[in-house]
Amino acid sequence: METIRNYLEAMFANLPNTPEVLHAKNELWQMMEDKYNELIADGKSDNEAVGTVIAEFGNLDEISEDLGIQNVVVNKKDITRRNVTMDEVKDYLHERINYAYKLALGVLLCIISPVGAIICDAINISDAFGILFLMGSIAAAVALFVYSSIVMHRWDFLKQELCSIDFATTNYVNEQKEKYMPTYALLITIGIVLCVISFVPAAIIDELDISFFAFDMDDLSGMILIIIVAIGVFMIVLCNSISNAYNSILKINSASTVSGNYVSSQRSETKYITPEIATIMSVYWPTVTCIYLISSFLSFDWWYTWIIWPIAWLVNIILTSILKKQ
Amino acid sequence: MISISSDVIRGYNDTIILFLLLQHPSYGYEISKQIKTLTEEKYIIKETTLYSAFNRMEKNGYIESFSSDQEGSGKRRTYYRITNLGRQYYQSKCSEWNLTKEVIEHFILKEGNYGNNQKLSRSNVC
Repeated sequence: METIRNYLEAMFANLPNTPEVLHAKNELWQMMEDKYNELIADGKSDNEAVGTVIAEFGNLDEISEDLGIQNVVVNKKDITRRNVTMDEVKDYLHERINYAYKLALGVLLCIISPVGAIICDAINISDAFGILFLMGSIAAAVALFVYSSIVMHRWDFLKQELCSIDFATTNYVNEQKEKYMPTYALLITIGIVLCVISFVPAAIIDELDISFFAFDMDDLSGMILIIIVAIGVFMIVLCNSISNAYNSILKINSASTVSGNYVSSQRSETKYITPEIATIMSVYWPTVTCIYLISSFLSFDWWYTWIIWPIAWLVNIILTSILKKQ
Repeated sequence: MISISSDVIRGYNDTIILFLLLQHPSYGYEISKQIKTLTEEKYIIKETTLYSAFNRMEKNGYIESFSSDQEGSGKRRTYYRITNLGRQYYQSKCSEWNLTKEVIEHFILKEGNYGNNQKLSRSNVC
């Protein structure tokens, strides 16, 4: 059955995404599916059934007139899209996931770079070590960024050229993405929670005014905050980068052709009633983040300002349900 | 084995489908199966041919489509039913075929009479 589906999808892949074409594809699929099921019920082998169904399918030229796609079928049988194979896609995903770890590690190093200076300050040794740590971690981060982006250069064609992937590959990537989603949800939740509550240990230490051995814990509270933020950001960057890897593959097919319909997630992107509203809604979360940061830094009342997140989330749900195109 | 040339039968796919729809509303695969059994597998209609015919006849108002659950399975299918216009069209196609058959018959030799016996058959006609 999978073979027949792939065959039909391949036949339709480059046709325009119009109601007529989709209707034809659906009807043909109904007939092929019925025929296949009956052949199997008659005791034919899978191979025989697939062979018969494909042999008796006919020719798309025959329906090109009905679909208003005569020009497409005749002239542009193979539009100049580079076909990306399943193996290439697997390679790419593998390297993109490596890249995601390096990127996240680099960001983590940048964030924790001031930690050395704080420790030196707390235990009263020369600041030189602190600066050395700062320089060292930033250098390591830059090295990671440069190296990993050079390695990824060989995949630039995915963005620069027009490419396409077939139905089976799309299914594979989509399955992988679905499998990753629970991890994604977990990482992003923990990451955000860590960032939001990062000030809590520091606040407690400040309040209790405790000291630990010879160290003045007051000095170290900043360090704890930085480390918690660094771990949170590491998780957010990592899972976003990995999920982007899957999405970048799934978006390869042009949305104006039938192949753009392989994945439902591509279609499920919220469509707003007007383009203006879509533009406004696209900056919703950045705006909320800005308001959060500005109000927090100005007031320094971090224990109140976080309330903006659940409120913004509720408002977002209400707004999208009102402004969504049905 | 001789098979039917698709050029010749093309003009009569509509007639075949309308004949089957005259009995009861039906869907794609059922029609292609009935054609196969009725003609003892001498004519197997291609899926694209069938779709093209449905699409054209629906536009011309000879048939109507509706979506319906198949008994039991719960799978939704597109069914087609014949309209009054379709019945008229079917009748005119039938008369057209009878006329065509009558005309062409004049020029078809009896089996076994090809080649050498041309003279004989020509005199028969006269």
